[in-house]
Amino acid sequence: MRLAFWAVWVLVPLLPPATAQDLFSARIQPILEKRCASCHNPEARMSGLDLTSRGALARGGKQGPALIPGQASSSRLYQFVSAGKMPPGQRLPPDETEALREWIDSGAAWAGAESFHKQRARAGLDWWALQPPRMPDIPAIEGAVNPIDAFLLDKLRARGLSFAPRADDRTLLRRLHYAMRGLPPTATELRQPLPDAIDATLDSPQYGERWGRLWLDVARFGETDGGEHNNERFTAWKYRDWVIHALNGDMPYDEFVRQQVAGDVLYPGDAAATAATGFLVAGPWDSVTKQINKDKSMAMSIRQDELDDMVTATMASFMGLTVNCARCHDHKFDPIPTRDYYRLAAVFQGVTYGERTVATDAQRAERARLVAPIEAELKNVRDQIAAIEDAPRARLLRERYLLLDRARGGSARRLPVNPIWNREQLAPTTTKRLRFVVTASQGKFVKIDRLEVLPASHVVTNWTAAAATPESPAVLEINLPAPWTVSELAWSSDAVRGSRDGMPKVYRIEASVDGQAWREIGSSLDHDSDVEVLLPEVSREELRAAIPAASVSRWQTLSDERGRLETQLRAIPALPSVHAATPEPMQPSYVLERGAIAKPVEPAPPGALTAIRTLDATLELPPETTGAQRRIALARWLTAPGNPLLARVIVNRVWFWHFGNGIVNTPSDFGFNGDRPSHPELLDYLALQFMRHGWSLKWLHRQILTSQAWQQSSAHNEKAFAADASNRLLWHMPLKRMDAETLRDSILATAGNLNLERGGPSYLLQKKASGGSYMFKALDNDGAEVWRRAVYRFVVRGGERIFLDSFDCPDPAVATPQRSVSNTPVQALTLLNNQFVLNQARLLSTRLESDASGPVEAAYLRLFQRAPTARERDLATRFIAQHGLALYLRALWNTNEFVYVP
Amino acid sequence: MSPNRPARPTRRQLLWEVGGGALGIGLAQLAAAKTHFPAKAKRAIFIFLPGGISHIDTFDYKPALAANHGKETKGANTITPFFGKRGAIMRSPWEFSRHGQSGAYVSSLLPHLASHADDLTFIHSMVTRSNSHGPALFQMSTGFVFQGFPSAGAWISYGLGSMNENLPAFVVLPDPRGLPPGGVAHWGNGFLPAAHQGVIFGRQEEPIADIRPQSGVSDAAQAATYDLVSQLNEDHMRANPGEDALVARIRAYELAARMQVSAPEATSIAGESESTRQAYGLNDPEIRAYGYNCLLARRLLEKGVRVIQMYNGGHFGKPRINWDAHEDLVTNHGKLARVMDQPTAALIGDLKQRGMLDDTLIIWTTEFGRLPISEGLGEGGRDHNPEGYTSFLCGAGLKRGLHYGSTDELGYKAEENPTTVYDLHATVLHLLGLDHTRLTYYHNGLQRRLTDVHGHVLTSLLA
Repeated sequence: MRLAFWAVWVLVPLLPPATAQDLFSARIQPILEKRCASCHNPEARMSGLDLTSRGALARGGKQGPALIPGQASSSRLYQFVSAGKMPPGQRLPPDETEALREWIDSGAAWAGAESFHKQRARAGLDWWALQPPRMPDIPAIEGAVNPIDAFLLDKLRARGLSFAPRADDRTLLRRLHYAMRGLPPTATELRQPLPDAIDATLDSPQYGERWGRLWLDVARFGETDGGEHNNERFTAWKYRDWVIHALNGDMPYDEFVRQQVAGDVLYPGDAAATAATGFLVAGPWDSVTKQINKDKSMAMSIRQDELDDMVTATMASFMGLTVNCARCHDHKFDPIPTRDYYRLAAVFQGVTYGERTVATDAQRAERARLVAPIEAELKNVRDQIAAIEDAPRARLLRERYLLLDRARGGSARRLPVNPIWNREQLAPTTTKRLRFVVTASQGKFVKIDRLEVLPASHVVTNWTAAAATPESPAVLEINLPAPWTVSELAWSSDAVRGSRDGMPKVYRIEASVDGQAWREIGSSLDHDSDVEVLLPEVSREELRAAIPAASVSRWQTLSDERGRLETQLRAIPALPSVHAATPEPMQPSYVLERGAIAKPVEPAPPGALTAIRTLDATLELPPETTGAQRRIALARWLTAPGNPLLARVIVNRVWFWHFGNGIVNTPSDFGFNGDRPSHPELLDYLALQFMRHGWSLKWLHRQILTSQAWQQSSAHNEKAFAADASNRLLWHMPLKRMDAETLRDSILATAGNLNLERGGPSYLLQKKASGGSYMFKALDNDGAEVWRRAVYRFVVRGGERIFLDSFDCPDPAVATPQRSVSNTPVQALTLLNNQFVLNQARLLSTRLESDASGPVEAAYLRLFQRAPTARERDLATRFIAQHGLALYLRALWNTNEFVYVP
Repeated sequence: MSPNRPARPTRRQLLWEVGGGALGIGLAQLAAAKTHFPAKAKRAIFIFLPGGISHIDTFDYKPALAANHGKETKGANTITPFFGKRGAIMRSPWEFSRHGQSGAYVSSLLPHLASHADDLTFIHSMVTRSNSHGPALFQMSTGFVFQGFPSAGAWISYGLGSMNENLPAFVVLPDPRGLPPGGVAHWGNGFLPAAHQGVIFGRQEEPIADIRPQSGVSDAAQAATYDLVSQLNEDHMRANPGEDALVARIRAYELAARMQVSAPEATSIAGESESTRQAYGLNDPEIRAYGYNCLLARRLLEKGVRVIQMYNGGHFGKPRINWDAHEDLVTNHGKLARVMDQPTAALIGDLKQRGMLDDTLIIWTTEFGRLPISEGLGEGGRDHNPEGYTSFLCGAGLKRGLHYGSTDELGYKAEENPTTVYDLHATVLHLLGLDHTRLTYYHNGLQRRLTDVHGHVLTSLLA
């Protein structure tokens, strides 16, 4: 068979293909197109080489001719490919290498059109965003002090346009406070000179709250799992606080990234750095399929989805790349092979969702100091109790299980698997060899204290093994003295105490004649599941009756002592915990065909993107690595100075949030399907300067805030509008509708009720309904606790509708790098009729009624930071006379002037 | 749409989002739905039965179940349950008989729907990707097994806009007994503009959240408020020329004022006849609540609501009040079917009688079916079956009385013409005049679709 195969293999090249041209059309052109042309085409010409036309092929590249017709082994093309040097990061299949050799050897004939190069339909390795940023020359523009303005004016002037005039001070101070703190300025703040105000807002603790909220959109931060059970993550807020704290402290952005990817392993024992990895597990999680489902392939595919969410979030947030598209096939638009995707997934192998303890060594030591003596005493007491009660209880339990089992004699089903008494009815088999194969057990080891093969009794006692998994089961082999006809087997794991620790949960029983082939003759599936049958227990009273009379009073004293110690132990506070990256046993990683868990193609060692040619995609990891090493390596790779994307992507996000337009308008996609930069030189300039200034976000804000571009007015300009309706060139500052959180916070602030308490557990606007429902009901709660800033609310996925939802506040199931801004009647109804707004209006009206300057003057100052006009006073007077001050204030919060910040 | 949609909405988008969005309206585009080709259906209603209604106890008759009752499934035919124990094959507790000209088998569980057998278009070979409620529900609602993608209703609203001035384009009628897990995510707009999220119609007194002013605000005060806001906004607009968004927001307030009047009108059934009330079961305390939703659905469809998502089956807490019959099929399905059967049939009959079935599409579906084996205990329940189940369509552009696809002899796996949720969605969009490969929206690097990269229109269903 094998011989025949090779014979055909060798013969193929000798069989004359119809013509050499046919070989080119059928085999070679497709290989060149698929494997080489993304870099070696007339546009990219990497290494000066173009392999897409007859003429260019003949010319060769910088290193000389690509091939010598008739001499494959001396041709660079063949040498590079056969040595695995090209294409980068992947080795061609042998049949393709062989086809190239044959084609060159047979004269390298070309067929068809002169060139097969088509209009580019995808990005190659020469894609702009993958090249390192280069420091551009700053255009010499008169009057432009800030380089930002020079770059922008350069393009505006080319179209005969310029900036709008500088906005007035009031407008700028309002803009500044909304932009940097997400809140309106107070009357005092309004009197500050702009430069001082810039310093003040950057130093304000509300800066971190405002910009932290924007980052949380990117991080798809939510505080429930989503999905069927939608369990709460009561400690996830620590990630939110970490973000706010990091921004307020101006943590260098590269460090901000490193901690989110690997803080727990870079700084073991540092609670804050561990909380930072909440980023990796901030997304929704299907706990039901992962934990309850019995279908193993389903559970494995959910695990793959977990990894996918981590890869997607990491690469989209930090790199602006849609790596997730390569899960099922090589990326259709960017040079990201499927192999890279699975190498990235391998980086996160050691991580899963969950809550983990985060304590300093001192905290741990302190707790251990308190706990140790009590535990020691407790052990002593428990041992003494066991000496008295274990034997009688074991006897009682066994009797009862036997009775219960017999009572079910007619049932096809066995008792639920339990530690005390399990009887396996086997398909009668004559054999000498049996084995008990455990694939899952309770806890981290497996134990069987007694196993009996029936009818003729053969007994095994006290067997233990390390943890069992489906991949590496724990196997108890039983060799009978002679071939028996076996029909039954009984076993217990802890008949004495009934503890479930180590109890086999999923197992099968197999028989073999020859010790080679094994046949299943029974399994744990023959048992009922443990929720449906009440298993016997022994009550204290029964135990008391069974204990030797002489021991009873001592037994009672010991039991009381045990109770007292247990209470003491519970009184010692648990160590703090956090929803963050939680360790998970490492599984082997594979490249999967079309993403199918059942179709592994090849092992996937940890790695990063081969498309980033300035960095080493292997992460320089040794073959055997821990999850910690992998993530640390990726964190370093991401933040290496040679990474062309990290700085560009964050600079663009900040720009986008300031101007409502990005330099690249798809902030999480810098690939082929994304937007092209409107000002590539400006983007590179800012990215490089940002890195030179210690990755300081506050530095970046200051550059933007002090620019003419940021300080220009919102004035309309017909000529500019006609030339650039979408304001890409920034000929004015666009009006911006407040986002949902800013709107809620600003209503509270202008009402004088905003509670500026910072950090800590989130307040609830929705709560899981009682009665076992998984639904989150909107709460009807009011008061100082829920008047905290919206960034501190408990973020529920899929909860009942609340005020914020009408204003494009996303349900954080997917990342939202840019929120939509829609304009609907439902928003109007919400802002008019929602109880929250009316309550605040009533509270504010009480406050303003006695205001010395008059309620209308005071309201205008609070909401719009200006005095009302005569007409506005007139409208106000008439409305208030008829309908009262509270409803008037409600109307003001509904105006465009309040909701849109110029 | 260009792949690089500017982040700031263009003038056209702004007008369109108000014009065709959640509470669509006037402007030029009203009713000028932008279909890709002439539509068969103008409007659609999804009737969704969360929990997983059993196909083999309703519309998919399997005599082999009775013949093999009590036998275990073995070897290659072994059936893996979701979380129950593997029990023996279990016959249906209900009798099947043939109905209508088409001779469709329907069980005695659904006598009212049986009388419409000739109006229905059955797909007996549905398959879905997950055997777990959460992901399977999301797939039926949004096409994806993950939370957070736009719902089918939102896509339809985005594609077609509204047909009326005063009501939302996309309305949700939840089961008063509770929401399915995932809650509002099932009618969310995902990454589409918020204008396309489903709007819940609830209690008659307050059909839409915040539709009415709070108590203590008189009608006169409310009217004066609209007036004051409008005057201030117009002054502001004149001071800020050239800003489309300001105009759009003024318009949104005008629409809100109109909705405040028209939504309660739509939900009032004072004018409905006694025979109509009776047909929908409003006189039966057990089925009244769902009956009211069915009647409300007809009224909303009549008034130009584009798409409705209506639920039959409540929450998943303990006890479950939906079709998730793990423990006791007879009691569970018996109870729920009594509520679902009559009003659903009344809605079909009512639409037919009014001639609305000719341009209305009904989609009756669940997230998966149930297994032919029992869970091995108690009174006999069935576990989840994503490998084969039944949905039916009804109305515009469909061959009526058709039975498409089939499951194997036990009703376990789809055998002939396995049909994915993508196929179902593609077909629904097709009937509404939309090409599922062209109805796209750019999000995080992809032109997203309801059908992801899958889906084929089920042409054999089309009349």
